[in-house]
Amino acid sequence: MLICDEYLTPTSLAEAFAAMEKNRGRYRVVAGCTDTLPWAREGRAGDVEIPALIDVTKIPELNERQVGDRRVRIGAATPIQRFLDDAALGRAMPAMPRCAVWFADDQIRAQATLGGNVVNASPAADATPCLEAHDAVVELASAQNGKIVKRSMPLRDFITGPGKTQLAEGELVTGFECDALAGFGGSFEKVGHRRSLVISVVCLAVMVKLDRDGRVIEDTRLAIAGIRPVPRRLREIEDLLRGKKLTGALLEEAADMPLDLVQSRSRQEYRRDVVRGFLVRGLIAASRRAGASPDALTQELEAAYG
Amino acid sequence: MVDIRLNATINGRKVSRDAKPHLRLLDFLRDDLNLTGNKEGCGAGECGTCSVFVDGMLVKSCLMPVAKAQGATVDTIESLAKSGELSVLQKAFHKAGASQCGYCIPGMVMAATAALRANPFADREEIKERLGGNICRCTGYQKIFDAVELARDVQNGRLPATALLETDTADGDVIGKSVRRIDAPSKVSGRLKYAGDMIMPGMLHVQVLRSPHAHARIVSIDTSAALAMEGVESVITSADVPGKDGFGVFVHDQPVMAHDKVRYVGEAVAAVAAEDALTAKRAVAAIKVVYEQLTPVFDPDVAMREGAAVVHDYAPDNITKHIPIRVGDVEAGFAESDLVIEENYSTQAIEHAYLEPEAGLAYVDHDDVVTVVSPSQNITHHRHMLARIIAKPISKVRFVMSPVGGGFGGKEDMIYQGMLALLAMKTMRPVRLVYTREESIISTAKRHPSRTNLRMGVMHDGRIKALAMRMVCDGGAYGLSTEGVMRKAAILAAGPYSIPNVRIDTYGIYTNNTPSGAFRSFGALQTQFATESHLDIIAERLGLDPFEIRRINAMRDGATTHTKQTLGSVSLMRALEAAEQASGWEAGAPAVRGETRGDLGHDDVRPSVTLGTRFAAGDTQEAAE
Repeated sequence: MLICDEYLTPTSLAEAFAAMEKNRGRYRVVAGCTDTLPWAREGRAGDVEIPALIDVTKIPELNERQVGDRRVRIGAATPIQRFLDDAALGRAMPAMPRCAVWFADDQIRAQATLGGNVVNASPAADATPCLEAHDAVVELASAQNGKIVKRSMPLRDFITGPGKTQLAEGELVTGFECDALAGFGGSFEKVGHRRSLVISVVCLAVMVKLDRDGRVIEDTRLAIAGIRPVPRRLREIEDLLRGKKLTGALLEEAADMPLDLVQSRSRQEYRRDVVRGFLVRGLIAASRRAGASPDALTQELEAAYG
Repeated sequence: MVDIRLNATINGRKVSRDAKPHLRLLDFLRDDLNLTGNKEGCGAGECGTCSVFVDGMLVKSCLMPVAKAQGATVDTIESLAKSGELSVLQKAFHKAGASQCGYCIPGMVMAATAALRANPFADREEIKERLGGNICRCTGYQKIFDAVELARDVQNGRLPATALLETDTADGDVIGKSVRRIDAPSKVSGRLKYAGDMIMPGMLHVQVLRSPHAHARIVSIDTSAALAMEGVESVITSADVPGKDGFGVFVHDQPVMAHDKVRYVGEAVAAVAAEDALTAKRAVAAIKVVYEQLTPVFDPDVAMREGAAVVHDYAPDNITKHIPIRVGDVEAGFAESDLVIEENYSTQAIEHAYLEPEAGLAYVDHDDVVTVVSPSQNITHHRHMLARIIAKPISKVRFVMSPVGGGFGGKEDMIYQGMLALLAMKTMRPVRLVYTREESIISTAKRHPSRTNLRMGVMHDGRIKALAMRMVCDGGAYGLSTEGVMRKAAILAAGPYSIPNVRIDTYGIYTNNTPSGAFRSFGALQTQFATESHLDIIAERLGLDPFEIRRINAMRDGATTHTKQTLGSVSLMRALEAAEQASGWEAGAPAVRGETRGDLGHDDVRPSVTLGTRFAAGDTQEAAE
């Protein structure tokens, strides 16, 4: 049970930092609360008494969304559901809608925020590999001497381990800046014990951009999670694929690269099999959605990995 | 605490009132506004029985702090049938028989409502996806999906509204017919009150202190700090039991609260009744118990050995129950067999996971009748046991069975009703206890984990000549239903097969694990898992079809069972035939099947699981949009 004396809902960054300053050492920042409330239960943190809960979801800066030609800016309090509702956002981040349907369930993703998913830094977080594939930059803010100070750093530097980030005391994640990848086809592959409300055993974000004829891979982005302490971009595979003709043999060659990706504590062999299958399946799906020429990939390949 | 002044529109009405800052929206709706239609099943966002609309979006109200509903429009299950007229979806749930225990149904109806609002033409796969956040333990979901499809088609005019009406069955003509549940409207509307939904004026809230140790002597319990707290009415321990303490379905070996020693992690040690649940929780934390650790025993095979830790003094060998069955001469049967096959089998503990966690309400009425309202599956037996425990004549003890939000055997045990009765007697006020999901899992019975050694002697033609089985079950810390489970396991161990020589031994063993108890099939699963698996293995060795070996050995009309019961009629042959046809079985020994089998890939075979049906229309060339 999560017990607090005060539940504060600031409506500006300045108000939030004032509340944090006033309650220094006795507050916790919350957003969607979909992880915090289950955390404060028997078997995990148990009954937790936190004097002040500071809810940042009503701060305008944390709810902004700007979709540009080159970059996308997303406020940290953006619920995962927005990637399904907001077509412009979905086009600029083509793996994210696919990720969103796998994220928790229809109801929790209406509450759960992108910022919360990143700050929790679970190795199995679903949104982080997508953000990593977009070269996401984390925007941070804090108050120093009454002034709001901002800094930013790449997501891959921000998340340092399971549950660990570079977030400093008194600092808030305000948003993310990502590469806009309109024109890419996206896919998100995930497996767990069931479909909904499940922690990823493996999850993979794939985006592919093809030439006008749908035959040559012009660009691609891949990132994987659930199998190691932090998400990992798969640049070796991107380099192999970039500029090559799209064929089944190429995709299988990519999946067979000896990258030793699986560093999980359990079920390593199973995960290695899944990773290989996901790489081929994800690339097929993303290529198809990027407008692959119908004869580029054989029916047999698609059936084998469908 | 700084209360929140909450202004919201709830079920169409303006609400403006103070709320405690730590409340979840679910608590505010259920406890402060008495809107108990939506339930709490897990408190962790897993089950969805708390699903409500907030500004038109369906959310899990157990994961939403009430402050987030500031200024919002909230609609609960009560909003769907405000004037008493059920919505199309609710009528469809009734028509399709989609409600069983009913505890998940308010959330299911809400999720289905959200699904058809999002896509009025959603197909079955999309409906499944959109209902993915809601768990039902009873129905297997098919009737729920049938109901949503029916409602969809009526809403879209593909089916007439009359499709939702009662099926007409002639008076008394109900066998083989789909008959409507008369209690379904109360469930689909959320109006049915489960024990955790009930309130009484002046009611106190109960919380339980549980053992953190598997096996320890209780040196002392100091309740003084808890009793001194403002708002605490009473704290009870084993010492407050006025009569002869002890309950259980067969042997009354379990005290209402731990007496002298604790025998498993999660065992009740003390209970508090206070003005509100949070005060009761804080009082529980203020109770000081000094334990002296004892050596625990967790493995039933170890517990059977000489010198093992003893869980109950009355059973120094830790045997709760041993059931032996002897027919013919087993060793002679093995000697004349062409082949003797031996294997070991094991099954694990399983939680019932009914959607409704245990809850109960007790009071002492105007005539001094101690009354307990709870979803008990065995109220008459509970009544007799409680009368002895509280030293009252049976006429002064009353049990009322509240709607059972799923039981599956797990609510046969009087695991908390005794504490409620004692607190009601001590305070002379109504008291209510509502378990959390975690409490339900840690403290109540599980299916018996088992280890089975099985030997069968067979002839080359498939006839079974002898069977020897020894099964050891972990009964956990208390007897509960172990005796009956062992008996049923032994009686059914040899299956519906005529076997001339049989030796069966089932053992229920005390350990310091969570107690095992009744669970659907009541022991038959454990032994028959071994026997039926064994028959498949033997069929493979003999080159026989698995159906064939069962037919060769099947009991027929007039057969005598291994426990000397004469069977007037045996339906096994018909059951085998039906199973063979329905499964699309291809005849042959198990070893000849495999990659070439032809019974897969048909329409009725479930495809591999994926997500994203909602994208199906735009699945190609999304980038080119």
